[in-house]
Amino acid sequence: MKQFIAKIISHAPVSDCFHELTFAWDPRAGAPLPGQFCTLRVSPYTAPLLRRPFAFSSYDEQALTASIMYKKRGPATELLSGKANGDSLDVIGPLGNDFISVLPKSTSTLFLVAGGTGFGPIVFLGLRLKKMGLPFTMVFGCKTKSQVPRFDALSSLNPVICTDDGSEGVGGTPLTVLEKVKPGERENGVVFSCGPSPLLYGCHEWANKRGLECFVSIEQTMACGVGACMGCAVKITDAGGSGYARACTDGPVFNSRRIAWTSA
Amino acid sequence: MDFSVTIGGKKLANPVGVASGTFGYGAEYEQLVDFSAIGALYTKAVTLEPRPGNDIPRIIETPSGLLNSIGLANVGVDSFIAEKMPQCRKYPCAIVVNVAGATAGDYAAVLEKLEPCRGIWGYEINVSCPNVKHGGMAFGTDPAQVQKLTKDLRRRTKRPLVVKLTPNVTDITVIAKAAQEGGADAVSCINTLVGMVIDVAAKKPVLPLGTGGLSGPAIRPVGVAMTYAVSRAVSIPVIGMGGISSANDALQYLLAGASAIQIGTANFVDPSTASSILAGIREYCEKEKVSQIKDLHRFIS
Repeated sequence: MKQFIAKIISHAPVSDCFHELTFAWDPRAGAPLPGQFCTLRVSPYTAPLLRRPFAFSSYDEQALTASIMYKKRGPATELLSGKANGDSLDVIGPLGNDFISVLPKSTSTLFLVAGGTGFGPIVFLGLRLKKMGLPFTMVFGCKTKSQVPRFDALSSLNPVICTDDGSEGVGGTPLTVLEKVKPGERENGVVFSCGPSPLLYGCHEWANKRGLECFVSIEQTMACGVGACMGCAVKITDAGGSGYARACTDGPVFNSRRIAWTSA
Repeated sequence: MDFSVTIGGKKLANPVGVASGTFGYGAEYEQLVDFSAIGALYTKAVTLEPRPGNDIPRIIETPSGLLNSIGLANVGVDSFIAEKMPQCRKYPCAIVVNVAGATAGDYAAVLEKLEPCRGIWGYEINVSCPNVKHGGMAFGTDPAQVQKLTKDLRRRTKRPLVVKLTPNVTDITVIAKAAQEGGADAVSCINTLVGMVIDVAAKKPVLPLGTGGLSGPAIRPVGVAMTYAVSRAVSIPVIGMGGISSANDALQYLLAGASAIQIGTANFVDPSTASSILAGIREYCEKEKVSQIKDLHRFIS
């Protein structure tokens, strides 16, 4: 983990609502892993005030570049979207735990499930698994066809694409696809999921009912990103459900059984 | 130039501190921050029992500010001594333990446990947390209770005792004087301002307890005004805080009468703030031919 100023290498939309931002990575900070995130200071002024967390969507150890994917959804991401190639970024990272350290030791069927902006870290995980020679099934969902991201790395992972309105791929959410997985195709299955909470909860339920493991990457508003402020608390089942963990340092990746799910 | 600050007969190497609740127990920032630029590290509040903290969500950004309702989530004094202090002792800066409790007895019990512990420079008594149902701000808004609590803690320790004041009162100077009467070596001000954000679509406050504590640049002018008033009301040193994120901000507090300052929310935005502020204060003092911090107090009457 380090704080450093990085140059933006490329910055472009990958669909009508998602953007990919690639910047030079300072190797002294350590190599980012799938599931980990960085925080960016998007403005030198006092508004927006806090740094914003973004999960890595790739890391190129030869070129020493890291990427994130984001959706414009407020003043901070609006400002970020105005940054151009060559501009500077104030980066702290890599932060949090990762998917790689929770990969099962034995041969399993790996399900990589993403929704919305959650596809960034899941694509990163897919690329890493491919490199490791581990087979997996990737499913990701968007609201509609125009939101489906288009970039080279993604097509190499053969994802099953779902859209809520059925305008591309399977009509429905990634959960629709999971429900159709036959018993023989999910032996020793492990789910890795990132996206909106209903999707994470759905993955947890699907896995739990079938006695399978599920790891989810939890999103929570953060202030410090390094475990100091206790702001990004996540309710967990430890201590009979009255305990909290920090999304930033205890997570963002959690075994879904540890989360005290409140609703779908 | 002598940058040291003396409080209760003990020195801080420089006037720049990092505020309680914004710097954890130090370890969280080890890889990011040069601790030698920090005069004092005010720890996350320590209570007698471990506390899980408040329900979520706990934080929301506001215009140039941060509204929080953490609820003194902490490991408890026993774990603090066993697990956090060994690491804290390695830092070159002074360790000031922020002490909180639900009752006067809690504060006393925490302090008694900390007393034999090596490496603690002093205590900051948190009578100003707005996010707990018992203790915290309920103490800090009553001058009689502040005086009584300070007096009780005073007789239990020779270490510097700093009382952290809440701005959520009609006249902060009355509370500051009560702390001084009780034997405090310094007061720190201000803790967060009570604030509320309402989710209009859901028609309810965003934070589960309704209100939270507002910090960040938005509250700086309030903090400077209160530091100015308190420094004129008491003879003990005043430690100023509230929205400090640059040397200019810190200098406003020092010119208003503060002997030291604390950086809070800005640690989240840029962990290197302490070192840049220290450098900026030094540069200003050299330019103004000021040889010690207290000489900054003579500019504004």
